Amino acid sequence: MKNSFAVLITCAVVLSSCEEKKELTITESRNATTRDKPSKLFATSDERFRDAKPSPVQGDTPAGWLALPASQFRLLNYRFGESGMGEVWVSLSAGTVFDNINRWLGQFNATKLDPPGLDTLPAATIAGFTGKWVTAQGEYSSGMGDPPRLGFALAGIVASVDGQILTLKMVGPKAEVEAAKPILETFAKSLRMAE
Amino acid sequence: MENSDTPPPRKPSRTLPGKIFDVLSGFGLATITLLLLGLLTWFATLEQIDHGLYPTLNKYFHWKSVFLLPEINGKTVPLPLPSGYWVGAVLLVNLILGGVIRIRKGWSHVGNLISHFGIIFMLIAGGVAHHFSERGNMAVGEGESSNTAEDYFEYVVELTEIKQATPVPITVIRGDQIKDLEPGKTRIFRLPEFPFDLEIGGYLVNAQPVSIHERAPDKQQQKADGYYLMEKPGEVNAEANTAACYARILYRDGKKSDPFIVAGASFHPFSLRLEDRVFTVDMRKRLWPMPFTVKLDKFTADFHPGTSSPAKFVSEVTRIENNVEAKVTIQMNEPMRYEGLTFFQASYGPPGAGPGEKMYSVFEIVHNPADHWPEYSLYIVSFGMLITFLQKLIPHISPTSRKKRHV
Repeated sequence: MKNSFAVLITCAVVLSSCEEKKELTITESRNATTRDKPSKLFATSDERFRDAKPSPVQGDTPAGWLALPASQFRLLNYRFGESGMGEVWVSLSAGTVFDNINRWLGQFNATKLDPPGLDTLPAATIAGFTGKWVTAQGEYSSGMGDPPRLGFALAGIVASVDGQILTLKMVGPKAEVEAAKPILETFAKSLRMAE
Repeated sequence: MENSDTPPPRKPSRTLPGKIFDVLSGFGLATITLLLLGLLTWFATLEQIDHGLYPTLNKYFHWKSVFLLPEINGKTVPLPLPSGYWVGAVLLVNLILGGVIRIRKGWSHVGNLISHFGIIFMLIAGGVAHHFSERGNMAVGEGESSNTAEDYFEYVVELTEIKQATPVPITVIRGDQIKDLEPGKTRIFRLPEFPFDLEIGGYLVNAQPVSIHERAPDKQQQKADGYYLMEKPGEVNAEANTAACYARILYRDGKKSDPFIVAGASFHPFSLRLEDRVFTVDMRKRLWPMPFTVKLDKFTADFHPGTSSPAKFVSEVTRIENNVEAKVTIQMNEPMRYEGLTFFQASYGPPGAGPGEKMYSVFEIVHNPADHWPEYSLYIVSFGMLITFLQKLIPHISPTSRKKRHV
């Protein structure tokens, strides 16, 4: 009898501990750190989720692409393709067209260009300027310690625009990049520099 | 020949507790657990290629996982396996019962006993690390300082009152308290320090707030101020997941606010004004304050020739604590250990940084109470094995032994 009672008590304790808590009282707190910067108060949902700061580059989002919030290094930022792994972004960066193309090729372990090799790349229009069309495929390493991704491809344009380097880069699974190249070219033509 | 490791012959027990003891302390169980651990490690190594390291470790070795079905190349293997944590626990019990309690005692077996203690200590170290270690990362730009690490995976909801544009203190609702609130479930969080409470629900591990004007909801998702949460498949690199959920303010007079979204992928917090007071609600990865500040003086990255594969990263830092400065170099395989924290050189940025670009260094920070225990356990095991070896060797090479062999 005693044993049965003990088993019943144990079951009750176990079951009560499994019960989903509907309410919790929160007392945990932390002090402010170097990571806590003054934040924008009363931001609208557009500002909170899309970083509505005007981008120096604008373009017409192609159908089927998902616009993501811009970031420090991605003025325009998109996802595309069925796999959800395809990415397109527009950046303004430092350096030269030659440096940037070779950096991209390095991310695919592709043979880097020598200066005359730059002239052999096809021309492409981006934001009303003429740039170089770059492609590569194979194992993609972003260069940030992320694991390499096999079967990836790159398509993009690098152009010198008013002393800055404007880049449009598409990276994703090879088949998805191949299929999206014409859309990328149209998107590049739609890009325009803000006044 | 008798194997000295063999437990003493034991009369098969007739009582149930005796039978259970025999099974739990037996070689059969030890062999099965070791085989299972090998099998689990092999399957987990294969599966992490497709699913990423963090989800795979959780599936195979987390204490909450009891049984699992392995996957190879995306196909489920119909072989239910117990999880590594529980196999390890059974091995621990087996070693204590068989390798310590049941083992032959005496000076000739002292080496085995010590070795078994060493392995038990190693298993306990694994359990302590599993339950009590913390991991985070800290990104610091050249010339900048930081006193805060960020958890790799845990998203928390933070609430604070804004006073003179400075948020102090910050109330934290931990990830464990919200991550079970899948769509359809809600929980009320009572906030004694605030003039309101918070209701949270619809938590998603990886989600993006999407404007209904940009892409229409496809699964009748809840909408909040023209946005909804679009669930995304978990990233292979689980640190890249951005959690999100819906929340409501519960005022003390019984009224509720409209739902709003708090998301790891948001740029600014949700703000509310209550009389003359202003509060913010935000979701972010959990911040972990350090007991000292780290300033990155210089970062150097060398690459293998002709590739973007790093050969060496070196961070030269100044550690500042109570106005006392110490210069430290952190590089791959040479972490900084200080006050129970270990700073490993983990990565750097920005991704694909071009020549002349300002860089930042990323440290992985680990607090593990059992940090050195595996090392100590190896010393114990080695010492035990050395004793066993010497106990065999000395009689073998001693003159009396030689005489006997030449008789």
